[in-house]
Amino acid sequence: MSRIETIISELSSISNNPRKAMEDYKKETGKGSVGVMPYYAPEEIIHAAGFLPVGIWGGQKSISKARAYLPPFACSIMQSVMEMQLEGVYDDLEAVLFPVPCDTLKCLSQKWKGTSPVIVFTHPQNRKLEAANKFLAEEYRLVREKLEKILSVQISDEALNNSIEIYNENRQVMREFTDIAANYPNIIDPIKRHAIIKARFFMEKSKHTALVKELNSALKSLPVEAFTGKKVVLTGIMAEPNEVLDILKDNGFGVVADDLAQESRLFRNDVPSGTDPLYRLAKWWQEFDGCSLATDAKKSRGPMLMDMVKASKADAVVVCMMKFCDPEEFDYPIYYRQFEEAGIKSLFIEIDLETTSFEQTKTRVQSFSEML
Amino acid sequence: MFTMGIDIGSSSSKVVILEDGVKIIAGEVIQIGTGSTGPKRVLDEALSKAGLKLQDMAKIIATGYGRSSVEEAHKQISEISCQAKGVFFLVPSVKLIIDIGGQDVKAIKLDSKGGVKQFFMNDKCAAGTGRFLDVMSRVLEVNLDEMAEYDARATEPATVSSTCTVFAESEVISQLSNGVAKENIIAGVHQSVASKACGLAYRCGVEEDIVMCGGVAKDLGVVRAISKELKKPVIVAPNPQITAALGAAIFAFEEVMAAVIFAFEEVRGANK
Repeated sequence: MSRIETIISELSSISNNPRKAMEDYKKETGKGSVGVMPYYAPEEIIHAAGFLPVGIWGGQKSISKARAYLPPFACSIMQSVMEMQLEGVYDDLEAVLFPVPCDTLKCLSQKWKGTSPVIVFTHPQNRKLEAANKFLAEEYRLVREKLEKILSVQISDEALNNSIEIYNENRQVMREFTDIAANYPNIIDPIKRHAIIKARFFMEKSKHTALVKELNSALKSLPVEAFTGKKVVLTGIMAEPNEVLDILKDNGFGVVADDLAQESRLFRNDVPSGTDPLYRLAKWWQEFDGCSLATDAKKSRGPMLMDMVKASKADAVVVCMMKFCDPEEFDYPIYYRQFEEAGIKSLFIEIDLETTSFEQTKTRVQSFSEML
Repeated sequence: MFTMGIDIGSSSSKVVILEDGVKIIAGEVIQIGTGSTGPKRVLDEALSKAGLKLQDMAKIIATGYGRSSVEEAHKQISEISCQAKGVFFLVPSVKLIIDIGGQDVKAIKLDSKGGVKQFFMNDKCAAGTGRFLDVMSRVLEVNLDEMAEYDARATEPATVSSTCTVFAESEVISQLSNGVAKENIIAGVHQSVASKACGLAYRCGVEEDIVMCGGVAKDLGVVRAISKELKKPVIVAPNPQITAALGAAIFAFEEVMAAVIFAFEEVRGANK
């Protein structure tokens, strides 16, 4: 097995088995894990405490118990998170960090059924005001205080600034990875690409950085092969379950860039420089654009996606629409019209973690492939 | 030269045999679909009607929900591409296709050459599909082929949910028990189907000529309701249930011809 295959296999295994990653971390460090709900929580604070931040993005499972607490029109991430809470899946987390940038998260944050303590905080939506930075820095101060109390640790500014640098390096390496992977879609197929990115949620970031850095240089040493399929940019919240990515692969699609909340949106901007770490983290939210969960009066998502298509020489955009995610649904008509005006082809597929039948997705993807 | 298109849907199986890419010599439909005896039976019926054998087919292309399970096919093409191909062959002025089948609703926008520009499908819900009409027909005790006549006699269409077949069924039962005339309920059912399909058509962009195909296009009550909602005339494709199979047969013909031309060019190049 080549080094490239070994690294991909290691990262895929971590991304497929977060529980083992948590257990390994505990064995190595003696410290536990803190859950991080979507979207855009300052993981760096957990990292600075020496604990493992673990992304909570639900999973592919049928929903029954959660029906007692959530309406059927809550997105399937939250449905499956609620189902797993009720099954005690998250009970060995030391705490759960819970941002609430959408209505479903706001409501879910008030009915957490697991036993781990939950730290809820709010992202301001009048983001471009200086007051927003001050507000969010204060929210993060409270998050830090609560984490210190729950985890019985002190989180110094120095440790936090150090963690921010570790995260910024990971962000930079991940941006390099997505650029390099775009040149090797035969090797980095949609499933592998997703697994490499997803492993970030379950690894201490400097370890993830080291592996991806090595992968990047190994990939770069290979000659660029011709790709006979079609190149696409993914946009949306997430492109799961893996069956969806399998269908893309089977129909000859390669992912050359993405604008997924679970993937590139997390690392397309660095946390800005400065001395006050909480203010730096707050400022990241102000500078972050093009996401349905962050109010954007200029509606820059469409132009950003079009730039992405141009830069990555993509043939089209695949809209991975999370079922019942109203922020994403509201954005769609705006950027869809911009695509139409610019002559950019797009495919709309529905993302539902509960689904087990993918025939409609197959038809849509095959038709799109025939259309391009 | 004969080519065959096989369209295996969720609730019906269709086969078209085409001669020289232009003449339909068999176009058969059986009202049971994938996973049943329908595909085999419709294939046998079409061959028998044409007086041909499977070996006489230069190429066979399968389409539809059950396209992957047709062993006789040389290739599978999605029903969206095949509908576009088949409808454009029959109505070359088409710009927007509304296709309502057993479990799918699709709006397909075409360019002037019949290529697919954009398409939208319903989500995983039976509302607005042929299955929805089946359920309503059973509850109302009115045959599917009589529903358009009932609709034509409606005086005050009832309101029927377009969100969910199960909700809509209980709404219809409640209206029946309240003494609402079947004619008015059926007109409401047709409006409900139309609102689902038109939602997809609006996403695609409505442009004439609009052509309807799929099994539900045979229910003129739905066609009228769609035309009323879009405020535009809607053409029903001739024999609307076989248009995707026809498209598949045309694709098969084009692929055979392309291979022949390619081989000819190769030979000509070698002889130069």
